[in-house]
Amino acid sequence: MAGLVTTFGAGAMTNAIGEIRDVDFLFVTGSNTTEAHPIIAMEMKRAVRRGATLVVADPRRIWLTGIADRHLQLHPGTDVWLLNAMAHTILEEGLTDKEFIAEHTEGFDALRRSLADYPAEAAEAVTGVPAEDIRWAARRYATTDKAGIYYTLGITEHTHGTDNVHALANLVLMTGHLGRPSTGLNPLRGQNNVQGANDAGASPIFLPGYQRADDPEVIARYERSWGVSLPTEPGLNLNEMMKEVGGRIRGLFVMGEDIVLSEPNVSRLEEGLNRIEFLVLQDIFLNETARYADVILPAAAFAEKEGTFTNSERRVQRVRRAVPPPGQARPDWQILLDLAARCGARWPLDTPAAIYAELVRDTPRFAGLSHERLEAEGGLQWPCPDPGHPGTPFLHEGGLLRGKGLFTPVPYRPSKELADEAYPLVLSTGRTLFHYNAATQTRREPGLHQKQPCAFVQIHPSDAGARGIAAGDTIEVSTRRGRIRATAELTREVKRGCIWMPLHFAEARANLLTNDAGDAVTGTAEYKVCAARVQRVPEVGEGRPPAAGPAR
Amino acid sequence: MTGALRIDGQELPIEAGDTVLSVAARAGIEIPTLCHDPRLGAAGACRSCLVEVAGEPRLSAACTRKAQEGMVVDTQCERVERHRRNLLALYLADHPAARPLSGSSELFDMADRVGAPRDWGRLESRRDQRVDPNHYVHFDAERCILCARCVRYCDEVEAVNAIALAGRGPETTIATADQRSLLDTSCELCGGCIDTCPTGAMSEKVQLLRGAVEDARLEKVRTTCGYCGVGCQVDLNVDRRAGEGGRVVKVTSPEPGSTVNDGNLCVKGRFAYDFLDHEDRLTTPLVRDAGGVLREVSWDEALDRAAEGLLAVKRRHDAHALGFVSSSRCTMEENYLVQKLARAAFGTNNCHQCAAT
Repeated sequence: MAGLVTTFGAGAMTNAIGEIRDVDFLFVTGSNTTEAHPIIAMEMKRAVRRGATLVVADPRRIWLTGIADRHLQLHPGTDVWLLNAMAHTILEEGLTDKEFIAEHTEGFDALRRSLADYPAEAAEAVTGVPAEDIRWAARRYATTDKAGIYYTLGITEHTHGTDNVHALANLVLMTGHLGRPSTGLNPLRGQNNVQGANDAGASPIFLPGYQRADDPEVIARYERSWGVSLPTEPGLNLNEMMKEVGGRIRGLFVMGEDIVLSEPNVSRLEEGLNRIEFLVLQDIFLNETARYADVILPAAAFAEKEGTFTNSERRVQRVRRAVPPPGQARPDWQILLDLAARCGARWPLDTPAAIYAELVRDTPRFAGLSHERLEAEGGLQWPCPDPGHPGTPFLHEGGLLRGKGLFTPVPYRPSKELADEAYPLVLSTGRTLFHYNAATQTRREPGLHQKQPCAFVQIHPSDAGARGIAAGDTIEVSTRRGRIRATAELTREVKRGCIWMPLHFAEARANLLTNDAGDAVTGTAEYKVCAARVQRVPEVGEGRPPAAGPAR
Repeated sequence: MTGALRIDGQELPIEAGDTVLSVAARAGIEIPTLCHDPRLGAAGACRSCLVEVAGEPRLSAACTRKAQEGMVVDTQCERVERHRRNLLALYLADHPAARPLSGSSELFDMADRVGAPRDWGRLESRRDQRVDPNHYVHFDAERCILCARCVRYCDEVEAVNAIALAGRGPETTIATADQRSLLDTSCELCGGCIDTCPTGAMSEKVQLLRGAVEDARLEKVRTTCGYCGVGCQVDLNVDRRAGEGGRVVKVTSPEPGSTVNDGNLCVKGRFAYDFLDHEDRLTTPLVRDAGGVLREVSWDEALDRAAEGLLAVKRRHDAHALGFVSSSRCTMEENYLVQKLARAAFGTNNCHQCAAT
């Protein structure tokens, strides 16, 4: 998100989801779209069926690779090398959009110089992707008019996540693939309202609408609007906050997240939580974090309250109450207003519509939106600066929101923790189709449980064979931070030397294993790459007692 | 525009790619269809959309017939009406007599509309009737009219090809490869087969297990799905007589073409709503007592405790000793309030939503 704000001037999908069906070249990277965004994947399938070219760059042989023209199966964490090599090819073969570069961008010379070190042939050794495939993909991308890039957390969940985004943005800018329908750069958001939470200013560096929290003019405006003086010190991002829990952070308010299941290197976080002075949790289920909470406030689920979510394509849509919350549970917004009042802040807000009206009042990009309009017209895509504005399906028409698109040279930096002798495998984590995040909702759904009942680890048959592991065996996965047990799934979906596991299972918490090293800009942790080893856990009675590990 | 044709006396413009059916639909002329779904290619399988084209000896399927300049089409003449009555009567003769308990009943609705006779006897079924162990999709072969909307959806939209037409003649049915359970196929349990089925042959198993509530009794509440970031619009089907104040008993998609999801949903969006009234839901505020045990308290007590606790941390240290974790699962309005709480009420920018990238 931060990467796109810097380079383009807006951190969101540049295009509408409905435009995907008309794309002629799709570059999908770091996105297992059929599992994480099934409905967007349907649009991609439709485009391919119509004849679009699909290139997937992903360490795993995900479903989409089955219908792709090429699969660039890069080694985890070598994205920058791959993308720079594509840019190198485009430059070398004279396929840049010179007019667009001259008119709409800045910093191209610096990029040009930086790319000299990244020829496709050299990329092959680092990324494992044949140079010819890299060149082919780069050519097709540069020479197809309607070309769209789609990415998700496989791009951002790295210590070089922002670099990855910059490298993608460079490809877009050098080929002028921006400001038109079905043509752009599209981060697919993992949660229903990731976009909206960012838009609303739940960020240590941005007030609502991506207005910088350290900009004196912005601060002054909000101080007038809210009638209080505001902090000028930049806040800690989530990654920093979690590392400081028990240190600089002595009190936490947590709404709608299970930090103990979702944050990386969770053993360290739990040590911190043991030292914390006060923790308020607001949620719909008792989750793992609840063990550390002093106060737990029961909240309403999405079907039990009014409000709005903003989806990946910047479309603000209504959330409506269908049923009452159970027992005494209450909508989060009501709880927050009551809590604020008890903390001395009495705000004259009494409905989600009123809260939304206050939100848009000080944010030019959303100023034309209101619950009333959404009710009358359905979802609307920002920017929507005034009440007569129809919304914006695709961004940057006639020029970038930032003014000029900024090229950012990105030198390749390896992931923080690479495979070595002690931990010879690379572990990546992610989502599956049948569960969702901490799975407090989906694991209570019998049909999903039936389809995917327990934690599993994907391992290549040859890596498994070398360790005497058969399909269905219980194996122990360990990293420098912790170990867990799960069932072995032997599959060529993962490369040799790589393993993959889902994050959903509380009894086999992937985040006991993951590295909490964060991206320098966003703090997003390196969930996608850490060094690991696996071993088969002998059955009880098979000679020696099972190795000690966390209870299942 | 590439010319014009006449349907039922109206002169109507033709656009590129038009069929007789699409021209008629634009003009609001209703031609009955069973195997048609705007998300799928035309199949011409069910024969219910046959119309008369002037000068042609045989009726023509409106869904597959390309619209041509100068064509004169009649959708209401006695010959067409008679065809529809006969066709529906034949379908019903090879069909259970009662409407389906759950799922679509387009077939019966259409039979009623065209006044199809119900006394044409009943064919003995020779179709395989096995029950699949999966939790969501129920297939009743007796109700299948082999229009293959489910099969085509599974191929053309979901693209997993988990089901296919299988067998021959009167034994033709919808099946998986080797009669495997859907759970052991490429099926992603999206339920699109149920959504597209016009006869209730594909239906939600959960409805059958729990006792289906007739659609007329359900109130649909349009909202935005709470799982991933696609923002699918869903209709929560609420039974107001169940639970305290109502219960969500089914989730359906708005019409194809009307919202971002184009009539589609995934397995979570369509089926994973049971958590709403799960017994594990938090229903009472809880406060940890001196002994470390969580006990139930009133809202007043819980909110007082929460406010005091946070303010005390600020007093003992400073505002920056507090951290606020907001949620990408909650609404815009709620995220706005959390950051305002952190900044305006406590004086710190230590506020971040959980899905920070």
